[in-house]
Amino acid sequence: MLSEERSKDIETDALSAPAAGRLANPDVRDEFGLETLDMSMGPQHPAMHGLLRLILELDGETVVRCDPVMGYLHRSKEKISENRMYPAVIPITDRIDYMNNMAMEYGYCLAVESLMDVEIPPRADAIRALMNEFSRIMSHIPSIGFLLLELGAFTPILYAFRERERIQTIMEAVTGARMMFHYIRIGGVKADLPEGMPEEMWKYIEGLEERLEPDFVDLIAGNEIFVARTRGVGKMTQEKAVEMGLTGVPLRCTGVEFDVRKHYPYGWYKNLDFDVVTDEAGDVEASYRCRIGEVKQSIRMIKQILENLPEGEVMGDTGRRIRPDEGDGFGRVESARGEYAVHIVSDGTDTPYRVHYRTPCTVNMQLLQEIVPGHYLPDIMPIMGLIDPVSGAWDK
Amino acid sequence: MAVTLPEGDLNSRLENYLDGFRNRHGLEEAEVDGNVVRLVVKPEVLLAVLATAKERLRILHLSFITVVDRVGSFELTYELLDLRGGQVRVKTTVEGEEPVIDTVTEIYPTANWHEREAYDMFGIAFKGHPDLRRLYMWQDHFDHHPLLKSFEISTKRTFEGLR
Amino acid sequence: MGTVLQYLDQEPFRFLLSVGAILFLVLNLAAVFTMAERKTSAYIQLRYGPNRVGPRGLLQPAADVFKLFSKENLSPSRADLWIFLGAPIAMFIPAALVWLVVPFAPNAVIADLNVAIVFFIAVTSIGALGLIMAGYGSRSTFSLLGAMRGAAQMISYEVPLILSLLGVIMLSGSLSLVDVVNAQGGGFWHWYFLPQLPMFIVFYIAGIAEARRVPFDLPEGESEIVGGFMVEYSGMTWGLIQAAEFASMGLISAITATLFLGGWQPPIEALDFGNFNWIWFGLKTALLVFTFQWIRWSLPRLRMDQLMDFGWKILVPICLIWLFVTAGLMLLFPSVF
Repeated sequence: MLSEERSKDIETDALSAPAAGRLANPDVRDEFGLETLDMSMGPQHPAMHGLLRLILELDGETVVRCDPVMGYLHRSKEKISENRMYPAVIPITDRIDYMNNMAMEYGYCLAVESLMDVEIPPRADAIRALMNEFSRIMSHIPSIGFLLLELGAFTPILYAFRERERIQTIMEAVTGARMMFHYIRIGGVKADLPEGMPEEMWKYIEGLEERLEPDFVDLIAGNEIFVARTRGVGKMTQEKAVEMGLTGVPLRCTGVEFDVRKHYPYGWYKNLDFDVVTDEAGDVEASYRCRIGEVKQSIRMIKQILENLPEGEVMGDTGRRIRPDEGDGFGRVESARGEYAVHIVSDGTDTPYRVHYRTPCTVNMQLLQEIVPGHYLPDIMPIMGLIDPVSGAWDK
Repeated sequence: MAVTLPEGDLNSRLENYLDGFRNRHGLEEAEVDGNVVRLVVKPEVLLAVLATAKERLRILHLSFITVVDRVGSFELTYELLDLRGGQVRVKTTVEGEEPVIDTVTEIYPTANWHEREAYDMFGIAFKGHPDLRRLYMWQDHFDHHPLLKSFEISTKRTFEGLR
Repeated sequence: MGTVLQYLDQEPFRFLLSVGAILFLVLNLAAVFTMAERKTSAYIQLRYGPNRVGPRGLLQPAADVFKLFSKENLSPSRADLWIFLGAPIAMFIPAALVWLVVPFAPNAVIADLNVAIVFFIAVTSIGALGLIMAGYGSRSTFSLLGAMRGAAQMISYEVPLILSLLGVIMLSGSLSLVDVVNAQGGGFWHWYFLPQLPMFIVFYIAGIAEARRVPFDLPEGESEIVGGFMVEYSGMTWGLIQAAEFASMGLISAITATLFLGGWQPPIEALDFGNFNWIWFGLKTALLVFTFQWIRWSLPRLRMDQLMDFGWKILVPICLIWLFVTAGLMLLFPSVF
């Protein structure tokens, strides 16, 4: 641990240095001698996707400086994970990104499995991918709703939650839980699909395919106010996006084709045929189009999986006690928000020595302090919708 | 303003990366394992290695920085992706209780919050970081770095009796 | 009986009765509109809406009002208390006052002012004052932003609102609302929304902005400035602001119906109910209120600069052009108009 003076030194150094997201001269006045207005938005704010505080400096309605402060939902996932046995960490990962839990479980299990000599049965792999795609739809559709909610339109969120509700019913039938699934286990999945479930899923997916265009495209995409509020807002170049380490929809909406499922394939995704949805514009409207496109790709993938669902076991042989070899294990999946990676350091005991979660939200949120200055105050909300962070995921 | 991403065969690309690193820097270890180029470097050359990766080899994406508290020393893992199947994993070890290491924010701006997180959780000082404040924990009145092994929690369970 | 009525028609009873009637109407309108709003939004959003209190949830507004009355009135410790508490009143009174000049049915108007339209314009613009008072008095950045937005918006949209009235005034040749309604008699093809269609649309849009409804609810903007000027209000002070909003929504609808949709005039003469023509007035107002709510639950919100652009660059020019067109037509075809 650092000594007190040293840590103070470092902090004061950092605080006095002019930096990104910090104004060089705090006593800034314009030519009329007018000061800027400081405003603290959040942590209790309806549009902050949970608990985020933005320290804003406003010149009229224009944001001059934006400094995100996080940690209000920090639950020390990494420390807890260090003190639990390997299987007991899975429910902890569920609560990281509570909108897209399956991907969180999947990444962790992949990381542990990379340290173990265990063969995943093909049926388990297929079911994992299947549930992941359902989870992605379950996250993408409400995030479209949230974007509209933050623009002031109330209705789409309820249409979105109707879809989420229906998927949750399917998830409940398969996993036994509506939100915190604890379904993907080290070596496979908890249980096989219930009898008749593939047909139910097929029925739902066909219905969703029919409803997607009228409910989420026709009602929203052509709306002039929606276009006026989103086109050109939060615009960024490809270089900026890559430089900021963005992944997921915020990166793809600038036109950079990167999807972990395609370029670092894992599990059943190697066998699936799908496109990486990209857009050129790199603004909020493009991210909305990307999300709709990804839902369509997810539907396509679910259909492929359901058509060729392999038979057999759903749990590999991991032995009675899960004790991975010493070394570093990595798992990387594409969550609904971007690249989610888990790095596990094992010392050969039955608890991990260190678990690091790379959540896409934390990284993508750096965008706020870069692109919000210069925008109007109400533009922060669509930009939040572009990043679509989840409080639990950025705070861990 | 398009970003050019690497193309071509993955294996030859990985070999190319490995050669690129080997020819320019003194590495402690370097090997290709699957689709990963593993490097172990001294903290002094870390900055140069990452600069090579970004500027010469065009590995554009810094995925994450993991810090592991090895009690007495800290092991840092920098995971780089070329976004087309190749990975570069750079490991370095910093000795001492009050570690200081150069910041990589100049090379990879995305490292800003990764380093803030590492500073918050482990107290690692990143020299030259533009904005080194705590990311998650309280800004003041909290002098601990919770992911250090010396930070004990009361509910540690090891299940040693279980067989 | 007749003598009693005659007696009641004298001052001060007439005055007291009018005030009582207006207050009764406005306060009940707030309750009815809340209910209507919740039910409309529910059916738009695939829900049932309130359906627990009373038959089909019809007593829900009563429960709401009871809840509001029983809540504590909080005020920020550093608020300017007089301004803070005066603001809801300053917003409510203008919204209630204009109802004095609205003709509900033939001969059913409390004050037949010969400058009723000017009265309407003058009194509604006082509402902006209450909004600024609320925002300034609460001493919060959010409410200050809301108040600044509200002031800019209300003043800007006053211009197209007034300009769009000029066509009607020119056609009817009077500033009295009673005269305006009388001039529209004889079937729906005599209503002013046909010759004044662009003005009707402009007035309707500017009216939404004056009533601070989506897509022009920037002073509230609950997803960005969390309620704006009313963020610090609670209990009945909040209820009063809410009542003022609903009253002004009803008011704008009623004035639109009066000026452009013929007021209490029936659509065809065969459906003339005499003194019961207030049914037509009520139906038209309710229809307009419903469209307000329909828009409110379908559209996102504009941004401040877009709002200003829309007001000054689109609505005002439309008004000016149509004003000249109307004047030209009246000069060319004096017999028709």
